Amino acid sequence: MTDARSYISNRGNVLAIVLVTLVVAYIGWKITESPDQALQFAFNGMSVGAVYALVALGFTIVYSTVWFFDMYYGAAAALGAYGVFYLRSSETLGGLYEVNNPVVNGVFSLIVVGVAFWALHTALYYRLRTRFSDRALRIGFGVSALIAGAYVDVVLTRPEELHVTLIPAVLAVTATVVFLAGRYAYANLISSREPMVFNVILVVIGVALGAFSAFLIADSPGSKLYLSWAVSCFLAGTVSLALYRGLYVFMRERARSPLVMLVATLGILLAFSALIVIVFEPTPRPLPEPFGGSAHEIAGANIKTLNLFTIGVAVAGFLGLLWLLKKTTFGRTVRAIGDDEEVAKVVGINTTVIIATVFFIGAVFAALGGLLSGHDTAIQPRMGLLLLLKGWIASVVGGIGNLQGAILGGFLLGMLEQFGIWDLAGEWRDVVSFVVLILFLSFWPAGILPRK
Amino acid sequence: MNGNATTASPSLFERGMLMLREKGDLELYANVFVIGWAVIFTLWQGVGFAVTLGTVFCIWAILSVSLNLVVGYTGLLSVGHIGFFGIGAYGMAILTSDTSYELLRTESIPQFGLPFFAALPICVLAAGVAAVVVGVVFNRFRDDIYVLVSFGFAIIAFNVFLSWRALTRGAYGIPDVQRPQIGSWVADGEIEFLALCVVFLLIVVGISWFLVSSSFGRVLKAIREDEQVAQVFGYQTTYYKLAIWVISAMMAGLAGGLLGSFTTFVDPNSFILLESMLLVSIVILGGLASIRGSLLGALAFVLLEEGMRFITYLPSEFIGQVRQVVLGVMLVLLMLFRPQGLAGRYKL
Amino acid sequence: MTSRNVAHDEYYGIQTIGVTKAFDGVKALDDVTFTIPIFGMTSIVGPNGSGKSTLVNLLTGVLPFDEGIVKIETNSFSVIHAHETPDHGITRTFQEVRLFDQMTVWDNMMVVLTNRKLFPSMIERSKSEHRDKAEEILKQVGMWEKRESMAGELSYGQRKLLEIGRAMALDVQVYILDEPFAGLFPQMLERVKDLLRDIRSNGRTVVFISHNMDIVRELSDHIIVLESGKFLLAGEVEDILNRPEVIRAYLGA
Repeated sequence: MTDARSYISNRGNVLAIVLVTLVVAYIGWKITESPDQALQFAFNGMSVGAVYALVALGFTIVYSTVWFFDMYYGAAAALGAYGVFYLRSSETLGGLYEVNNPVVNGVFSLIVVGVAFWALHTALYYRLRTRFSDRALRIGFGVSALIAGAYVDVVLTRPEELHVTLIPAVLAVTATVVFLAGRYAYANLISSREPMVFNVILVVIGVALGAFSAFLIADSPGSKLYLSWAVSCFLAGTVSLALYRGLYVFMRERARSPLVMLVATLGILLAFSALIVIVFEPTPRPLPEPFGGSAHEIAGANIKTLNLFTIGVAVAGFLGLLWLLKKTTFGRTVRAIGDDEEVAKVVGINTTVIIATVFFIGAVFAALGGLLSGHDTAIQPRMGLLLLLKGWIASVVGGIGNLQGAILGGFLLGMLEQFGIWDLAGEWRDVVSFVVLILFLSFWPAGILPRK
Repeated sequence: MNGNATTASPSLFERGMLMLREKGDLELYANVFVIGWAVIFTLWQGVGFAVTLGTVFCIWAILSVSLNLVVGYTGLLSVGHIGFFGIGAYGMAILTSDTSYELLRTESIPQFGLPFFAALPICVLAAGVAAVVVGVVFNRFRDDIYVLVSFGFAIIAFNVFLSWRALTRGAYGIPDVQRPQIGSWVADGEIEFLALCVVFLLIVVGISWFLVSSSFGRVLKAIREDEQVAQVFGYQTTYYKLAIWVISAMMAGLAGGLLGSFTTFVDPNSFILLESMLLVSIVILGGLASIRGSLLGALAFVLLEEGMRFITYLPSEFIGQVRQVVLGVMLVLLMLFRPQGLAGRYKL
Repeated sequence: MTSRNVAHDEYYGIQTIGVTKAFDGVKALDDVTFTIPIFGMTSIVGPNGSGKSTLVNLLTGVLPFDEGIVKIETNSFSVIHAHETPDHGITRTFQEVRLFDQMTVWDNMMVVLTNRKLFPSMIERSKSEHRDKAEEILKQVGMWEKRESMAGELSYGQRKLLEIGRAMALDVQVYILDEPFAGLFPQMLERVKDLLRDIRSNGRTVVFISHNMDIVRELSDHIIVLESGKFLLAGEVEDILNRPEVIRAYLGA
């Protein structure tokens, strides 16, 4: 009781209570005034919020690991959206405008070569060192990385045959996922030491399923759009990983404060957004309609299948990240690094690999957010910065460095934005979200769900 | 060749790194390079072009000096400074508008018809008043949250310029902004306007220099280093931060007023977030906590754009983008090797 | 409010009454009541985590306290603002040295001396009285030759000295030094001891936190013992340090 009294005796808290009451009353009034429209606004808010939540999730996992703001995230979101546009431009522009550019393909392939070499080296070097000479290993890794780069180049130069060129990737990914999932299930459900036979069976099942899904995809040209999602998310993630390994690692050794990293990544964002304008021209572009552009009517309000899908992806992404962070060894290491990177290094965690993976995952989330919002509205070069800021706001509102906070903040921000522009015009959307941010920072600086 | 000689003399790379870290050398080279470039440019393109360039430089220099007061001396990384610039420019455009071009309008805006020299102080004051409001709200934030909310200010300002059509005509912009006029003398020629801008630049640099070399400036640096300690030694740091924020905003408002009058056309696209980010990057590029550095940064920035116009195989619509790429890459390199910028005295 | 200390009520200095501070529900200071006498040297001792630094932070307004009252001279405060500490006649140093790293040693001293009022400070250039004072202090702490170098480039001992010097430049009654002896080699230790004696000989109050019982015995006149956020004892040094509960608190037995 005394707690409540002292809470109310604080003037800031009273203001906050009044504010919340006003907002709730306003929304309540709006709902009673026209329930149908309110439902429509709620749906819109949910769809927008899902995108914010996706960006905020990726942002949060990176921020809570390395504790600096990586502004490249804006570029990752834009890259995700523009990657889809790049691969599917023939559907949207009807082949009037040739987007495909050998230089761009080459650059991405080179990045993939670098990342692949690094990945092979870190994964295999110490295991194979005793059996092969350094030189042989280097040549082997180099050749494999070059093959990977060439493959990516082939995929990027033939966007019309995506469902054919991606068959090996689909096969490999499916087989790996089946294999890993099977092992995980076996280790958790039956016994911690799986017999060799089981592994062999898993490989067979995995390859079979992989081949099956590859055939399914090759048989349906409509899948090209969804495959392009995967490709552009992969590319945005790879660039993020390459930036971390090739740049941030060195920069963090010298950086005196997180602001140095912020300014440096600001430079990266500036460069990337300018490059996007150079390659794609500054005009807004449409993306093809996924799911045949279908929509559903629920209680008098419309919602596109795409929006439902976005909400689903956000929730699934949240659950997946939660599982990854809380239940797996990888997640425990990530949290250890977030708590204290030096200690994590001392106890023998290869922090570079773990953080690089986190950067990859984070950028994939940002790219997903970017491309899904691009499908919903349209894409333009400055969308990246705006999405980054919205994701940043969402994670601050929800409680920074906290996955639950990120998804909650994302949806809340989307809703508040939509209800905020009900009586204003739509162009005040960004203003509303920054006002929400400033109010939150003034009254609940730690956000809704503060990180423990 | 004996082995000792090769180990004793540093490699080219090491020498380069050494040069980058030692302040004096690089600063000197940068100065000589940029100013030499400016001179060559004038000789090459003729005085007329150099005058236009000089005016643009003056405006950007006022802006970057004013931002350096906040970012470099006080340590508040504000990315929203373009908002005050815009307030100045729109103030000038709205206040000096008269009835002569009413037919052009799609929407009517209030007509004040003030002369330039009456409007300019009002622009400065308007920016100052806006800065008081914004500063009171922003004062409690620090570090990366400060960056985020200052982004917010830039976006809010841009949206107001774009969407408050009754005052700003939205995306149409306001044409025919007045040129300075005293009695019958109109600074219509470029060279008169340049002279005016130089005078204002000198005033701004003078005020800035006076402030940062006073006790006040020292306290600002102390706040930048450790705000809490500055408080423990008896300084009410919120007032200091607010004061420098308002002064800086007023300078930006002045620059905005000059820009509005110089281009005689004001539209929201000059005040997008990106411009603000470019402004921050030229302040960091030139050097934090160094007025000379800001001048250098602004000069380099202006010359970079104009210089690229003469790279023949570069399409003209990409110049801005290429400049942005160059600035971005330079930011990354500076943060790696010289976190204080070219001529700076404060490492971020 | 238990354990009110009455032994020092004849002194007239800083007094805390029932001061409580909690971090996330964990009480770092619990109902602490004591008096810091106005004369001589007082040391605050206690095991790690007993709330010594928190106490100093509360007294100088670096942290707000949840409950209780702090009496300074004749005024009672339930809220202390950091920027008012010099007005209260208090200045301090920090446990981990907090200098203005990217400013010169000279500027570090001058910041403390110049005008505290906003607008006069804008037109104030360095005054000769401030320069003289800064020079005097810098010579006293032996940093005069280093005045042009950046504070961040100094060695640990020099930083410690400069921080004490920066506090000394402020003309106040009470100097609270948070672990002034930590991590110093013997020569420096003597120097800091001399500085503290200098301050005391000017009739000022020195309050310091230390883990080094020999120094506490040697320098201080009064002693305040804290244990796990609670006030334990206060009084004359020899008297207190031989008490069994103090020894128990220290040895953890």
